[in-house]
Amino acid sequence: MKCMRALWLVVCLFAGIVQASELRVAIGVQDPAQLAMGGNIIPPNMPGSELIAVNDDLAREICRRIHARCTVNFVPFSEVLPGVEDGRFDLGFGNLLRTPEREKRVAFSAPIWHSSSRLLGTPTTAEAFAAKLGQPVSIDNLRDARVAALEGSLQLAFLNTIANQRGLAVASKKTAQEVIEALRNNTADFGLLSVLSAYALLSRDTTRQIEFIGSAVADRGLGGTVHIALPLQNDPLRKAVDQAITAIRVDGTFQRITRRHYPLGLD
Amino acid sequence: MATPDFGERYRARTAFVFLATTFGLLFSVVVALLAMDQHRVLEASQRLQQDTIPQIIRFQRLARNLEQIRQEGERVFSATTPEGRQQSLFLIMLVASHPSILEHPQSAEAARDAERFLIETGNLASGDRSQISQRHAEWQNISKRLSLLVDDLSVQGASLATDDLNEMVAVMQLARAKLIGALILVGGFLLLLILLLNRHLIRPLQRIDQTLSSLSVDQPAPEFPDARMAEIHAVEQATRRLHDSLAANEAARRELELLANRDGLTGLINRRHFMVIADAELQHTQGQGRPAVIALGDLDYFKRLNDTYGHAAGDTVLQAFALLLEESFRQSDLVCRYGGEEFAFLFPDSTVEQARALADRFRQRVADHDIRLPDGLLIRVTLCIGLADASKSTIESALHDADFALYEAKRLGRNRVIVAAETA
Repeated sequence: MKCMRALWLVVCLFAGIVQASELRVAIGVQDPAQLAMGGNIIPPNMPGSELIAVNDDLAREICRRIHARCTVNFVPFSEVLPGVEDGRFDLGFGNLLRTPEREKRVAFSAPIWHSSSRLLGTPTTAEAFAAKLGQPVSIDNLRDARVAALEGSLQLAFLNTIANQRGLAVASKKTAQEVIEALRNNTADFGLLSVLSAYALLSRDTTRQIEFIGSAVADRGLGGTVHIALPLQNDPLRKAVDQAITAIRVDGTFQRITRRHYPLGLD
Repeated sequence: MATPDFGERYRARTAFVFLATTFGLLFSVVVALLAMDQHRVLEASQRLQQDTIPQIIRFQRLARNLEQIRQEGERVFSATTPEGRQQSLFLIMLVASHPSILEHPQSAEAARDAERFLIETGNLASGDRSQISQRHAEWQNISKRLSLLVDDLSVQGASLATDDLNEMVAVMQLARAKLIGALILVGGFLLLLILLLNRHLIRPLQRIDQTLSSLSVDQPAPEFPDARMAEIHAVEQATRRLHDSLAANEAARRELELLANRDGLTGLINRRHFMVIADAELQHTQGQGRPAVIALGDLDYFKRLNDTYGHAAGDTVLQAFALLLEESFRQSDLVCRYGGEEFAFLFPDSTVEQARALADRFRQRVADHDIRLPDGLLIRVTLCIGLADASKSTIESALHDADFALYEAKRLGRNRVIVAAETA
């Protein structure tokens, strides 16, 4: 009987190890078309593919460093945090800024890079609003406009806090590409996105209809350090991921990954 | 046992405990000072690692981003296609939006100005290509401003490290000076300790050692300079008392020796002592091939004298006879009370004839000498002396021969000197 119990313990332990070496990774995507591409590779010519590719490479490198086998899942940005929070994913990538509210839901790794937010829109709209406001449009003076932002993003949360005061009609979109589409078909006057996400989309937009409006903002929760989201209760995993981040920074792997997809350093 | 006087002196243990405590305290102070310096160095290195280096990295990142804006700005002017120009403009907008630039007001302003100017240039160039060259001069100024800012930020970053390193170097130099000071302090203290040990412990001990090595009753009582260490002073006092004891013991020994070797009544050496000394002297004389004579003398009719006048009178006669003996013989001659009224003689360096003459002269002197008894009566005594040549025989043999000659002298009528050879 004792032998059976010991054997059962060993089996459980072994199962735990196997479970620990299997990680489910969520990467937020920019375009609805990318949602169907579970598990493998996003084609490089798709909108926002650079940011996804950086996150993908980074996730795989971290998994390799912590000796884990990872399964990558491409999900809408709004699914990343809830997925990690309810245990469907072990690592969440999506240009995630760290806030006190989010810290109650998930744990965060060491910073991986920095991000800020910026308005987007067409030059025509920007000029019209500038004429109305009597000064160039910026986040600080934006009012009486329709503004789109990504579902579950801090940009959307910010807009919601100022919407009533500024007379803003805030629209929530599942992907960054949907925000761009809303600007293009004039269902929104402006979009508020993270600069990295917006750049990933605008740099491939040959129509040149959409551009950055006003200055970038990194305060009021709209910018800062970007992290990987992890389950709250898995501190060993967080420590292992932090060690892996430090290691890949020190040996230059991080810089090589970002330079492979962006013409500048993201850190 | 007398207690040493510790009035002006220090106990060695107290003195050395005081010195060790003083040294320990001084050393602890120096170690504490060095520990403080070490703490400062650790703090500075920790600050360098946790604050300064991240700050330097931030400055480097900022400088790199500004430099990228400047380079992309150059590409806006050198681009041959609108698409190329647009790509550069996107990059400029992206980099200008980086939080590292936004959180640094001077850089944020410079980046914003450059971005605005370049976007305007891009928009103008899309309608009129010649606008590019017209605006280039102004761009040169903006570019120069960016370059200067990049240089300033690079230097500023390096200066942060230099400040911390300078502080660390200053602390280390201070610590080195303190370490040298500590070494001098330890060296000086050890030197002082050696001097004190030498002066108050080693040299006094050496003096005591020398004194004890040569301590003898033949030497005067040892004298020591005033010692400051109570224990050393106590040992010196004990050494003096030891010398006094030795002298007292020697005096007692001599007294005992005298009592053991002398005859109590006459003061002459006794028979046991005579046998020891005479044997040694005889061997010495024979060893040098010189002559020697042994003699035995005996007062005539001494028993009758005792019976007639009493034992006190007999004792008086013996004492008077002993005085005559001491007055009559040479310093080198050896005389003892052999027993009762019998006396033994050793005449070294004397032939039988010389000894016979000496003995006969003495016999005559005794015979002519008046002895006053305790009751005032004057009497005279005679004696017989038997001589034997001891130049080649043992003392026992010579005494035997002399005794035989003495017996012969008694037999022939007393008051005479007989040589053993004459009877042989």
